[in-house]
Amino acid sequence: MPKVDMDMAEGTIAKWHVSEGEKVARGDPLFDIETDKAAMEVEAPGEGTLHHVLAGEGDTVAIGSAVAFLYSEGEEVGDPPAGAKPAMGSEEPTGRRGETRSDTQPVQEEPAAPPDEKRKIEAGPRATPLARRLAREADLRLSDIPGTGPRGRIQGEDVREAVRATDMRASPDPEPKGRAGAQTGPPLVLIHGFLSDAQSWGPLEKAFGSGRPIHKLELPGHGRATRKPPADFSALVSHMRRGLDELNLEAMHLVGHSLGGAVALALADTRPRRVASLTLIAPAGLGPQIDGAALDGMLRATRAESLAPWLKRLVADPDRISWNYVQAVLAGRSDEDLRDAQRRMAETLFADGTQCFDLQAALGRVEMPTRIIWGRRDGIIPWSHALSAPGRVSLNLFDDLGHMPQIEAPEAVADLLAASVGLAP
Amino acid sequence: MPDTAQANVPFAIATYDPDRLRAALRKMYLIRKFEEGAEDSYTRGLIHGTMHLSIGQEASAVASCMALTDDDKITSTHRGHGHCVAKGADVARMFAEFFGKEEGYCRGRGGSMHIADVEKGNLGANGIVGGGLPIAVGAALSAKRLGTGAVTVCFFGDGANNEGAFHEALNMAAIWKLPVVFVCENNKYGMSTSTERSTAVANIADRAAAYAMPGVTVDGNDFSEVAEAVETAVARARRGEGPSLIENVTYRWRGHSKSDRNRYRTKDEIAGWVKKDPIARMGAMLVTHGIMAEEDIAAMETDVDDEIAEAIEFARSGTDPDPAEVTRDVHTDRAA
Amino acid sequence: MNAAAGVRTREMSYAEAIRDAMDIALTEDERVVLMGEDIGVYGGAFQVTGDLVERHGPDRVIDTPISELGGAGVAVGAAMTGLRPILEFQFSDFATLAMEQIVNQAAKVRYMLGGAVSVPVVMRFPAGSGTGAAAQHSQSLEAWLGHVPGLKVVQPTTPEDAKGMLLAALDDPDPVMIFEHKLLYKLKGQVPEGRYTTPLDKAVVRRAGDAVTVVASGIMVHKALEAAGQLAEDGIEAEVIDLRSVRPIDRETILESVRKTGRLLCVYEAVKTLGIGAEISAMVAESDAFDFLDAPIVRLGGAECPIPYNPDLEKAAVPQIADILDAARALATGRR
Repeated sequence: MPKVDMDMAEGTIAKWHVSEGEKVARGDPLFDIETDKAAMEVEAPGEGTLHHVLAGEGDTVAIGSAVAFLYSEGEEVGDPPAGAKPAMGSEEPTGRRGETRSDTQPVQEEPAAPPDEKRKIEAGPRATPLARRLAREADLRLSDIPGTGPRGRIQGEDVREAVRATDMRASPDPEPKGRAGAQTGPPLVLIHGFLSDAQSWGPLEKAFGSGRPIHKLELPGHGRATRKPPADFSALVSHMRRGLDELNLEAMHLVGHSLGGAVALALADTRPRRVASLTLIAPAGLGPQIDGAALDGMLRATRAESLAPWLKRLVADPDRISWNYVQAVLAGRSDEDLRDAQRRMAETLFADGTQCFDLQAALGRVEMPTRIIWGRRDGIIPWSHALSAPGRVSLNLFDDLGHMPQIEAPEAVADLLAASVGLAP
Repeated sequence: MPDTAQANVPFAIATYDPDRLRAALRKMYLIRKFEEGAEDSYTRGLIHGTMHLSIGQEASAVASCMALTDDDKITSTHRGHGHCVAKGADVARMFAEFFGKEEGYCRGRGGSMHIADVEKGNLGANGIVGGGLPIAVGAALSAKRLGTGAVTVCFFGDGANNEGAFHEALNMAAIWKLPVVFVCENNKYGMSTSTERSTAVANIADRAAAYAMPGVTVDGNDFSEVAEAVETAVARARRGEGPSLIENVTYRWRGHSKSDRNRYRTKDEIAGWVKKDPIARMGAMLVTHGIMAEEDIAAMETDVDDEIAEAIEFARSGTDPDPAEVTRDVHTDRAA
Repeated sequence: MNAAAGVRTREMSYAEAIRDAMDIALTEDERVVLMGEDIGVYGGAFQVTGDLVERHGPDRVIDTPISELGGAGVAVGAAMTGLRPILEFQFSDFATLAMEQIVNQAAKVRYMLGGAVSVPVVMRFPAGSGTGAAAQHSQSLEAWLGHVPGLKVVQPTTPEDAKGMLLAALDDPDPVMIFEHKLLYKLKGQVPEGRYTTPLDKAVVRRAGDAVTVVASGIMVHKALEAAGQLAEDGIEAEVIDLRSVRPIDRETILESVRKTGRLLCVYEAVKTLGIGAEISAMVAESDAFDFLDAPIVRLGGAECPIPYNPDLEKAAVPQIADILDAARALATGRR
């Protein structure tokens, strides 16, 4: 029984396309399976003749268990190998010869040569000793727990997550609401960009709804955070990590924009077991270029007239920047300490109009589902930085958006976020 | 020291009182009969492992210890039963060790090859050829530094004289003028290889010249000759003049160990050496000089036979070590 | 530990701390002697004994000939008979010349003799690579000796421990082998004045953390601490355990840490295969801490080759900070 879905533990045989003794070619449909999410056709992994169908239609089988055996031409068909039986099922064979056989099965006195290694593999789940112990103590089956470690290894945190999920299922959902109607999964953690603050997430929050709890972290020198600027990018990340750790979340979906995206990536790199998914919106840190003039202009602006042209650079459609919005931004920058902290951060993080930190290696390391969202008309950071992402990172590039997709097109970004989080739209 | 040449009396007769001479002969018998008893017990399957018998070399062991007190030390070899008895050990506890009992000198942990009696100054037999040589030098260094006046006699075989440890040990003893006497028991063969085939010099004692120390080769089956050489060397050591090398030429009647098939020497050669039996020669000397009568010697033999029989009985009825205590004495128990 | 207890301390190098310990011992105890090649007026190959010969005289700070086997044996024999020798090897590599006396004699005498004698000898071995001295002067052989019951084998890593463990070794009735990494001799640190001892059987947590346990020995402790500092900047708190004692290994300190972190990295300079990393890994795997492991155990040890001469090759042959950093990060972040 192949694993065809991330959190699939077992599958039900919906239909056999081939019957016992029939020949199949590689790629022929073998059987259909149903999971709680989808139906799927399973193809023959190689050429051969089908024997020993252990799981019939309607049987539910744990992933990794044998459902039948394919014999290559000329290979002697013997008994099903010892222990080769579905781990569960509506009709569980005992495995003793003859007792549960249909009359289509071969009857042979001599034990046959064992089927070749490929077919013999009983994919017992890979799990660390800690995971095995925790599963034992929680009375959970390892085969029911998806592993997030290397090569799908089940680690301690995976079992803890499964225990939490079990506990949540056990207690009645207090107030179903939001997209998928339940706040059951890990919360979102949002980190805003340079010269912005937590309030900037308003439109996205509204579009996303209340499907998950949302935490917003503010960068130092921004919003209501400390006015003490970090010494460098590493200190910035350390500061943010402390903030993240204080939230005491076992798991989260991490979202960051621009400089906040770079921070989110660095956090995911060092807290990989807690970050269920990572969404980076126009992130910094993937290349050296940045519009230093725009940063400088915004930092220096003391009047709406000098601020407005730079704010308009942030978006693809300058008309979106209303006069009222410019004045609101200016009001938010009235705190001298805040401006001072931001100037100092710019001096270290974006000296000489250059991004002075590089997270491309971190992007290469992170293994959780990761998505990059970018507008191709970004005037602050070139969207083409996204192209350095490794293949397993999803790229969502919007032709008509600028540096602020979450403000310019909150619904579209919310849909992508919902997909990352695993909520139905 | 008496002028033996002038009196035409053997050194031993002139030097030791009759009681000590009788005791020395008794020790030689004790060694011989201890080893015969051990061999017999081995043949009967009562003791396991292997053993290296020194039958035929008893004069070397006993005479070399005549100059020593219990404060003086010896280091011994894998062929060390004689040294142990000569230094004053109790054969009952030696047999107990052979039988692997708690009552044995090593509480059953050492066996034949590591037999020791530290209280009497025997720092132990050694399973490594040449292993005891530097240790003896260390014991002599202690004596010199601590001013105890003790001398160490270092027994080793002809085989060990070709080990690097021999060179290093003799050199250090000489440069530091340490109170140690190196006694080589040259029994002609290192296992099967004769000294002629293994050693460049005619006499092992010739090698003393390389370390600027006195070297003397004596008839190892002549109790008096050995005693005289060792007494002289021990006196020199006690005076702080440093080490000496003595070569006792002797012969082992039995094979190297219990697994020896004796293919490297002839029956005639062995028979020739049996005629030079050191115990018979010692007995004859004591009779000649009127210290013992033939009947006294016969009575002594019977007495020793009884002691050996009792010792074997003591050993057989000893306490078997508790396997749970297999790691005891790996380290010193500091609480004890 | 002593440095924090209000005891007066003084800044000293690792070598000076060892000399201070030996000075205290020579002053307090007449039985203590130093032995070794060129430890007198030369001051020792690494200037550890320094001027001790001027203060305590050539009879107690004894230059030996270039005789490693003999020197070790003399130290063993002296220790068996009342002295408390400290034997310095010029390089730990030369222990191979003295293996007979260390392994067959020092380690076993007490056991073979059923506890009748102790061997309170201390041997010091300047060890490790990093000096460009190539294959025969750069080895880390602590695991060789750690394999021998009867020996205690330690690797102090700080000046304070170097002094405290040497004084503890002198207090110990059994043979203690001290491996001193040559690159540590110039390491400075606060050292308590006067006499104190540091346990010979206890590891110590040098840096607390919860993400991964790094058990390091010898100079690798300093490299592991450097790596842990860098990891902390990324919010990964590694726990660094200074093994200190190779035999016995402080089981409980390691297991307790592994129960906390679930991840184990062993770092040692000696050749990786059949080394202390294997022992620690097996110890954890055999214990209840196994059920706390959340990732495979990782060992970082020396390459499977002799230590090469070329400086880049020499670095490549032993774990470096970057190697520790990578391995610890991968473990702590669940990627191994």
